[in-house]
Amino acid sequence: MEKNVFIEKILKAALDAGIEAAEVYASSNDSFRAMSHNGEVDSYSVASRSGLSLRGLYKGKMGYAATEANDEEAVEQLVKGVMESAELVEDDAVQEIYRGDEKYPEIDNYAPALDRVSESDKLKLLLEMEEKALHCGDERIKQVNYNMLSTVSGSTSLVNTYGLRLNQRDNMIAAYVSVVAKEGERVATGSGFGFGRDFSALSAEKMAAEAVEEALFYLNAAPVPSGVYRVIVDRRCMPDLLSTFAGVFSADAAQKGMSLLAGREGETIAAECVTLMDDPHMKDGLASSGFDAEGVATQVKAVIENGRLTTLLHNLKTARKAGIKSTGNASRGGYSSPIGVSPSNFYFKPGSKTLGELMTDMGNGLVITDVSGLHAGANPVSGDFSLLAKGYTVENGQKGRAVEQITVAGNFYTMLKNIRAFGSDLEFVGSPVGSPSVDVGEMTIAGK
Amino acid sequence: MLDKRIAQEAIDCALSTGGDFAEIFYEDRLNNRVSMVSGKVESVNSGRLHGAGVRVYLGFRGIYVYTNDTTREGLIACALRAAGALHADERINAQPLKATEYVNRNPILVMPSAVKTARKIEKMRAAQAVMGNYAEIVQNSINYSDSEQRVWIANSDGLYTSDTRVYTRMFITAIASNGTENQTGTEGPGALQGFEIFDSRIDPEAAAKKAAERAVTMLHAPACPAGVMPVCIDNGFGGVIFHEACGHSLEATSVATGASEFTGKLGQQIAATCVTALDDGTIPNEWGSENVDDEGTPTTKLVLIENGILKNYMIDRLNGRRMRMPVTGSARRQDYSFAPTSRMRNTYIASGNDDDAEMIATMGDGLYAKSMGGGSVNPATGEFNFAVQEAYIVKDGKIDHPVRGASLIGRGSELLTRIDRVGKNMKMAQGMCGSLSGSVPTNVGQPMIRVSSITVGGC
Repeated sequence: MEKNVFIEKILKAALDAGIEAAEVYASSNDSFRAMSHNGEVDSYSVASRSGLSLRGLYKGKMGYAATEANDEEAVEQLVKGVMESAELVEDDAVQEIYRGDEKYPEIDNYAPALDRVSESDKLKLLLEMEEKALHCGDERIKQVNYNMLSTVSGSTSLVNTYGLRLNQRDNMIAAYVSVVAKEGERVATGSGFGFGRDFSALSAEKMAAEAVEEALFYLNAAPVPSGVYRVIVDRRCMPDLLSTFAGVFSADAAQKGMSLLAGREGETIAAECVTLMDDPHMKDGLASSGFDAEGVATQVKAVIENGRLTTLLHNLKTARKAGIKSTGNASRGGYSSPIGVSPSNFYFKPGSKTLGELMTDMGNGLVITDVSGLHAGANPVSGDFSLLAKGYTVENGQKGRAVEQITVAGNFYTMLKNIRAFGSDLEFVGSPVGSPSVDVGEMTIAGK
Repeated sequence: MLDKRIAQEAIDCALSTGGDFAEIFYEDRLNNRVSMVSGKVESVNSGRLHGAGVRVYLGFRGIYVYTNDTTREGLIACALRAAGALHADERINAQPLKATEYVNRNPILVMPSAVKTARKIEKMRAAQAVMGNYAEIVQNSINYSDSEQRVWIANSDGLYTSDTRVYTRMFITAIASNGTENQTGTEGPGALQGFEIFDSRIDPEAAAKKAAERAVTMLHAPACPAGVMPVCIDNGFGGVIFHEACGHSLEATSVATGASEFTGKLGQQIAATCVTALDDGTIPNEWGSENVDDEGTPTTKLVLIENGILKNYMIDRLNGRRMRMPVTGSARRQDYSFAPTSRMRNTYIASGNDDDAEMIATMGDGLYAKSMGGGSVNPATGEFNFAVQEAYIVKDGKIDHPVRGASLIGRGSELLTRIDRVGKNMKMAQGMCGSLSGSVPTNVGQPMIRVSSITVGGC
């Protein structure tokens, strides 16, 4: 069935069945993904996928159902699913289908030229990435163990029984190359990454060089002795930490007692140099959007301003509970997920110093460039983290030797208070969460 | 369902511009999720996942195309798109499809779709009620999920088969707080079973009690000290250490490309002689079991390591070609939107001969990791890390006091050789494992083991 016909059919069936107000949230996308190994494209996947969910108010409660099939049977399944789920929900919070805002910001997340790039040009770039990495002139680079390029072009629509009709298109390309360096018994990996909406801006040479440089540098890595160290978390690593703990800024988590920031709006929760932005209007931002997952117009705001918590992130339900207006941060993990809360483009405001200047100020310590195990070694509820890390030493302000097989441990809330300075090198690397390099003060390191 | 004649047509189309193998994977899945926060049902969500993927190869070159449009026209278009991307000069003719039957090892007594959601909520309430017994538990969430996945697989070798996989799981999170600090405890029992799981495998009250007590214990625990020390890891989810430190590096995905530290080591001693490890997809109704894998190959019971000697890798079709080795029924994928690759199923260290109490009594000073969190690994370097949910400091062979925030790091190959005790009581636990072909249900397992020395990250 044609999509718009299908959506109108569902909404009509919902109203006919006695659902008071309903909304269809639909997403569809075309994707391309290829990987190569030893100069041959060995995995190549193209797809069109679409799905939608129906959300509806029935007897005052919100019900949900979702489908990828678009037949008559699906219409019935959706309407029945919404009614059954609404009847079982016990959440007392008043929920609503949004009537819409007067104005929505115009967000341009779609580059038509990217959709016109041919598959053969994409494959050419993919093979070039591997080629450049393997023939970098250093025989310690033995292998490219992961080489991938993907594009996705999609649209999201929100249509409801109050006549609200919102639609947004976006597309994007991402490429990733990872190399293995070997010397004797030593093995290390390094990766290079590129993304954006401008195909011609992606350089195979640059990505390959990044990967090679990292792998070679870590070939000589070794742990440092356990102890308390001065630490800078660099701009590639801090976004991983920040996104792991982004949930603590959600009013939904706070109202459920899962964030220690509950009720602390207006208080100082971080060092004075800390300003944390949520900017859904950012040009070429991965999470840029004119409307959120409930159809509320989005807005730019500081969540922490000069150390003070100005607001938590809200959707309609949490805002109503708190007696304020939604901040336009309703989100859905996928078209079939329930409404939650999440930041859009989320980043620490940069300072004025270069990474080199931050290192000079620190004198002796460590720069952490990578942490792994965030899904297990970081606890968003307590703020505690203890993570496998790598990086390098800083001796008298200068870059020293490579470090690996250490863990860096701390607490996110404590870290916010201990931050001494931000670098000027803010960058978004394939994620809507970004950060400059950050001097985080002291941290506990476990090594040899 | 996937009609046999349409499947044959689609396979022929997929090979129309060449290729030496083609396959179609068709999926129809019903998912149900109920979430309860502090005793109130917060959401009830049902969804239907529906689509198909067509794969075509020539040698090591593979094309995968998937779609939601599962009409005859949609599947043919999908197959032609795959053929168009391959442009091969060689081709084979597909064998006529012949339905393959097998004995269903994973019987389902009560389909979750036949059970009213209200009854599912009753089970959640039983778990929830336990939380009230703990004053420090300020918040809890109970999630219930079930899934009925029906797959049909046909390929150019003439295979036409199907499998039904029914999963039921309950996931419990308890949060203890003293006002300024929070700690969590989780339990997530599940199986490849229908609603009858609540008559045998899942005791909601017992699981909730475990989660709550763990959160409370950790709230009163001081931070774990950092350093290198001996560690005893308890059974059940403790098996995640083998999963991360070794299992991923034995998947053909990383072995075939030479990226794994265990490439080329078949027949060699890679672990201490007390270590025997298996990956078994045939255990009836276990979380990681299937009748056939996602390439339609019957699943197997595979010895990975026997008395420390590497015996087998887990191999899917494409990597089997690269390695010139037979498939092991290990090809899995999250859903039709992923091409399959080699994955773990129920992976565990087999029971040994050592005594749990002796292990701790003779370890001196170290750490007893009673309950593990998740972890991850870089298969190229073997570097792994994982979190310990519930840990205790051992002083002079005696369990002394709980500590929070511990994590374990190291390299898989080193860890395997440092295992010096393997207990007698193997137990498995459920997890979701993420890799190239998405997130799939896997069991981890082991008896209690001891590692003579490992880096512990504290906080």
